[in-house]
Order: sequence, then structure tokens, then C-alpha cells
Amino acid sequence: MELVVTRNFGRPESWTLASYREAGGYEALERVLKEMTPEEVTDLIKASDLTGRGGAFFPTGLKWEFVRKDPKTPRYVVVNADESEPGTYVNRLSLELDPHMTIEGMIIAAYASNAERGYFYIRGEYGLSHERVKAAMREAYEAGYLGQGICGRDDFNLEVEFRRGAGAYIVGEETALFNSLEGKRGNPRFKPPFPTNFGVWGLPTAINNVETLAAAPAIVMNGAEWFKDLGIGDAAGTKMYCLSGNVVNPVCVELPLGVSAREVIMEHGGGVPEGRTLKGFKPGGASSAPLTPAELDAALEPKSMADLGTIMGTGGVVVFDDTTCMVDVAYRDALFFEDESCGFCIPCREGTPNLVQICERILHGQGTMDDLDLLEELGASMMASFCGLGHFAHQPVRGAVSRFRDEFEAYIHGRR
Amino acid sequence: MAIHHTELETPPGREPLPESERPKLETLRERLQPLKELPGSSIEALYAAQELFSYVPPEAMTLIAEELKIPESQVFGVVTFYTMFSLEPQAPNVLRVCRDLSCHLAGAPKLIGALEDALGVRHGHTSPDGQFTLKVVSCLGLCDMQPALLVNLDQHGPVMPDDVPDLLDGIRNGAG
Repeated sequence: MELVVTRNFGRPESWTLASYREAGGYEALERVLKEMTPEEVTDLIKASDLTGRGGAFFPTGLKWEFVRKDPKTPRYVVVNADESEPGTYVNRLSLELDPHMTIEGMIIAAYASNAERGYFYIRGEYGLSHERVKAAMREAYEAGYLGQGICGRDDFNLEVEFRRGAGAYIVGEETALFNSLEGKRGNPRFKPPFPTNFGVWGLPTAINNVETLAAAPAIVMNGAEWFKDLGIGDAAGTKMYCLSGNVVNPVCVELPLGVSAREVIMEHGGGVPEGRTLKGFKPGGASSAPLTPAELDAALEPKSMADLGTIMGTGGVVVFDDTTCMVDVAYRDALFFEDESCGFCIPCREGTPNLVQICERILHGQGTMDDLDLLEELGASMMASFCGLGHFAHQPVRGAVSRFRDEFEAYIHGRR
Repeated sequence: MAIHHTELETPPGREPLPESERPKLETLRERLQPLKELPGSSIEALYAAQELFSYVPPEAMTLIAEELKIPESQVFGVVTFYTMFSLEPQAPNVLRVCRDLSCHLAGAPKLIGALEDALGVRHGHTSPDGQFTLKVVSCLGLCDMQPALLVNLDQHGPVMPDDVPDLLDGIRNGAG
């Protein structure tokens, strides 16, 4: 299969401008600036069906068009590299191994959305990514890809500022990231108004995940149909899937969007360690509800995952074998969300510790069958949370109960 | 970001900056100057303070508020929101061990236990020799190196309990 966003990973010093240019880097930007209007770029990206790889899968071309059509200026482009979903490391690899591809995508996004300012925001823990992206930005400025009069076009300027976070999962939520960029606590903001009209500093902002932006140059070079056809069925393009947990090879692979979980886990991950059997897996990070081996042939793309009552999420596939206790897995997820809840709204601030307490009760053999109903009730009330964190925090716990109910009942009935 | 009650009981300001550390405030003031041109750079300002002092002392928060012309309450709000900032002095080597799902399945609890034994402290604290602060943190995005940890910002993994003595010796000898 043809690779899109990981195609340069094996090249020597793949993170340098020299290496990126040798591999055809920045040719897409030059083509865009020579041959295309911003409208043509958004039309192309819309036709390619490229959607947000951070997990929301919002149509990228449409987002850029919304920003361009808002008359307020200056408009912004923001790279969201606050990757913090447990089990997910795809953006880290892109930032470390090919930062220029994301930068080129960012410049194309700026042109298409008529933005003149930008931020490259990376989570605080990604030290090597900071170094590589800062160095790549310096190279891009020196080569005239960033700054004033890009590639000789007097009418196209883009000033980008590098920023890093300091440890906060919630800042990956786009409006929380704006608050962080503005030097505030990373609490989310009310939506609407949406970022395309009211983003950082209250101005129209195209905020995109690393992997989304990195796909843009290849779409410019190869066309919308080419990208679309890379996916399976109705799903367009490729996705970086990364494996972890009880799997032989915890690796990242770029595969067609819509590939089966079986192919990802068995072929690329090498399955579970010898002598063990597969018990289940999470399709996309901590927020996604776990699935069973019976669902291995499901397509890892947003629609089929939604049909199964879980989410595609980030592509962070976490594998569980028969030595893993699913009640403990649910407990781990609950602990994570309790710790990462920003504390701003009550359903999430109170709901996440409640999830932890119920899991603890069950693990300690003090749970009752009523607790399983209580989890359902709690989940329903947490849907009143202010942002996605609270909407998703209970899903992995409830999902574990619905798919692996016998394990919860074993604790409750004292069989463990 | 759960509220830690110990922090609430000991608000910053109770322990004033030692006299010997005060000259560093001038250095901080100098380092804040370029940030005045960059609106919203309070996180970078706090990193500058933490780099100098190993933590964010109350005097540094006051200085940042003055220089960047933002309310001190906002500075305090930011310090306490982001987990990488510390209100207490830290050792030169901060170990951040991932506790989340993938690393947990790969043996993070045993790794944390081995580190606690080797350093002679519970996580959340600094070793008696003052060389290491041990923290247990949310997913570091190093799941391909499960179980993983950061030494300051350097990535290590997979780290098994048996690897701990060599890892710590390496850091002590400057190999980090």
C-alpha cells in the first residue's frame, strides 16, 4: 500500500529540510502558491474527504473554508500536537521523524483559510519533538517557507510561534488549547461559537491535528481521488494506527482507514504473547469502550465503531490478553479521567471520582449488582458535562461492563 | 489535576525563597523581557522560573505577574493547572513514570515499586540524596516503549525493574 504521512520515516535524518526536500518536500506548497486559489485548495481537500485525524473526523476542507469566509482578521492556523490520549503515540512519531511535512501542511492550511498567523502547540512532555519542530521551523523560515512573502508571493505571509504545554490532557480539546495559548488555565470554552469563527484571541482559527495537516501535501500532489481510494469502502485515506498493551509488537503502522482490527492486531502487532489468548481490545485510546475478539473483523473507522457503541478515537489500539482483568482496565481508565478532569463543571468533576469509587468497590469485593445499574445512571448524568472529557470518561467503564459483564459479576458474587 | 489537599493546606508563600536564591530573580527578570512581546506566554515564563529554581517559588509568580502585566491569581491558576510545574523544590533529575493503561499492562506497577525501593522514597517525593524526584504521571505517549519513563525530558523504555540500578547509575554519572 502507498504510504502518505509516514513515507519518509525510514530516510536518514528524515527530520531535516535537506532530507525532506530530497523526498519532494515543499513541492506541494510551491504548486499551491503558483497554480491554485485558496478556493481551489479547499475544494480539493473537501473532494478528498480528508477528516480530522485527532479523533473527531470533521471534514478538513470545510473547516478551512469556514475560517476563510469569516471576515475577522487576523485569522489563525494552529497545529494541535497535544497528543495525550493513553495508548496513542502517532503524532509524536510524526513530529520526531518528519516535522516538515506537518509544517508544509500547516502553510497550505493557512493559504487555504487566508490566515496569516499560527501557533505550533506541542504537549510539554514531548522533548525531542520540541527540538525537532523548532529546528524545522527555523529551517522553514530561512528557506522562505515561513515569514513574509512566502515563496516569492508578496500577498502571502505566515508568522508561526512555537508553544509547548506543561502537562494537561484536557488541553487537547481545541477550545482549552486556545485558553492555554492565551496563557490561561486550560479549561474548555463554550461552543458555539466554534473555533472557525471564535478561536484563539477570539479570531477565526483553523485548528488541526498533526496527522491531518501532514496528509495535505500528498493530496495536493496526487489528487483527491487518489487519497480517497486509499481508504477501504466509504472511508477515505490512510490512518496511523499504533499498538500497545498485551501485544507482541507495540508498533505504529499507517494503513488504509477502515482496515480490520484483526489485520492491525494480528498481522502488524503479531497478536498476543505466546501461550496467551486474546481477550479484547480498545480501538482508539482510553476514551474508547473495549471490544471482544468476536468483533475483530470490524473496520477501524468512525462509522462502524459507532455502530458497535464505541469510537474510532485516535487509532491507539490497546490489546488485552487472558491475563488482564477487565475490571482493572476499567478502573485504570476511571483513574485517568479523574486525574485529568479539569474540575470546571460539576458532572465531570464529581462524576469521574464516582466512577473510580464504584470500580474500587467492585474490585474490593464490596460491589453489588446495583452498582452496575448505578454506573449506567452516572454515565447518563455525566452527559451533562461541559466538554467531551466528561461525555467520554464513563464510556470505557460502561463499555467494559456491557462487553465483559461476567468479570464484574465474578467480583460482586465473590468468585474472585 | 485532581485537587491535592496537602497543597491546599500549605499554600505557597509560607516558605519564602532562601536569601541565597534571591539573585536568580534578577536573572528571571531578564529572561522574561522577550516574553513581554508574546501575548499569552505565561507557560514559557513559568518554565523559565522552574529552570532557575527547580520549582516555581511565590516570588517568581509575583515577578511574572508584574512583568507580563497579568493578575497574580492567573499565574497561580496556571501553575496549579499544569502538572509539570511544581510548587516545591525538585531534584535535578525528575523521573516521570507513566501509570496509564499500556504501561500498566506492561508492568508499570513493578517498575514504580523498583524505583521506590532503589531511591528509598515513595513516588511524589525526592530521594534522600537529593538527586531524584520520583513522579507517577499520566500517559506520556511512549507506549511503543512500554513501560516507559522520562528523565527530565529524555525518553527511556522499555524499562524493567531489573534495569533500574543501571538506569539510576547512568543518570548519576551524567549519562542521563
